[in-house]
Amino acid sequence: MTRHFPPEPAAGPAVESYLTELTARLPGPARAHAGIVAELRSGLLDATDAHRSAGLPPAQAAQAAIREFGHPAQVAAGFRAEIAASQARRVAITLMVTGPLVGLLWIATAAASHLRIDLAPPGQWTGLPPGLGAGIYLVAAAAGITAWAAMLSIATTGRLTRWLPTRPRQAPTAAAVAGYGAVSADGLGLILLAAELATIPGKLALLPAIAAAAASLARLLLARRAARRCLALRASLT
Amino acid sequence: MLEPGPRHGYAIMEALRVRGGGQVDLPTGTVYPALHRLERAGLVQATWAAAGGRRRRVYQLTPAGRRALDTERSTWRDFSAAVTTLLQPAPLAASSP
Repeated sequence: MTRHFPPEPAAGPAVESYLTELTARLPGPARAHAGIVAELRSGLLDATDAHRSAGLPPAQAAQAAIREFGHPAQVAAGFRAEIAASQARRVAITLMVTGPLVGLLWIATAAASHLRIDLAPPGQWTGLPPGLGAGIYLVAAAAGITAWAAMLSIATTGRLTRWLPTRPRQAPTAAAVAGYGAVSADGLGLILLAAELATIPGKLALLPAIAAAAASLARLLLARRAARRCLALRASLT
Repeated sequence: MLEPGPRHGYAIMEALRVRGGGQVDLPTGTVYPALHRLERAGLVQATWAAAGGRRRRVYQLTPAGRRALDTERSTWRDFSAAVTTLLQPAPLAASSP
């Protein structure tokens, strides 16, 4: 969806009241629907013009245009699926971009603290108590679920929809799973950090650890909010 | 409806009504979410354009949209030809002497 749109002059009271009724049925803040409203207003003005050219007086022409557009509930239902798809896509892309960045900060922390994984089976972490080493695999699993669900959400909202069968609830559901996956990955990372500070104090490189923790905390809070929003969008779809 | 050239939402709906010979009468408002969905799929491209003192969101087919239209058209023609053949009255069976 194009996000830049020009301001449109206000139409007559009947058209504006129709648009207000329609917008009230759309999820999210009004500014998120400004593009949709501008486009519908321009369509309603075109329809009004067409009826005026056919000989109707202005007020009746506007009423005829509104009748022709359909009930606000019907038009809003079509847009709800579109809004859910575009927001789910935005959430999924944000998670896919921020995930590796936060991951890099944690890897930098591990490297600066001389913690490393011994790739030979059973894959022990050197420099870490065994319990904490196992926790890192949980973080990796949560990150994997996040990436998988985010990719599913991206695939079902973009060009692949030409070939993939999709259902309206699919993308917000996948984006919510990705969001909660990110909450789990970042939360577990922070718990591990706290456990490391408690068990091996003095071993961690403090500056990269603080940067990684701050980034993880910020991502956790944003991902939780985004996941809740995606669930609300999912619930708004019939 | 976009094959001849770019059109805005209301013009698409009018063309649909005229070319549909009155058989297609959808609420105008429902065309907009459908256009947004096609845009997301990369089959149409939308831009804001000013004309006659008013700004409108104008849609045009992308190359992928044109290809998809050709494919759908040919699939529909094959299907329609098959159904037409099936619906033709069967020749009377020759009666045995």
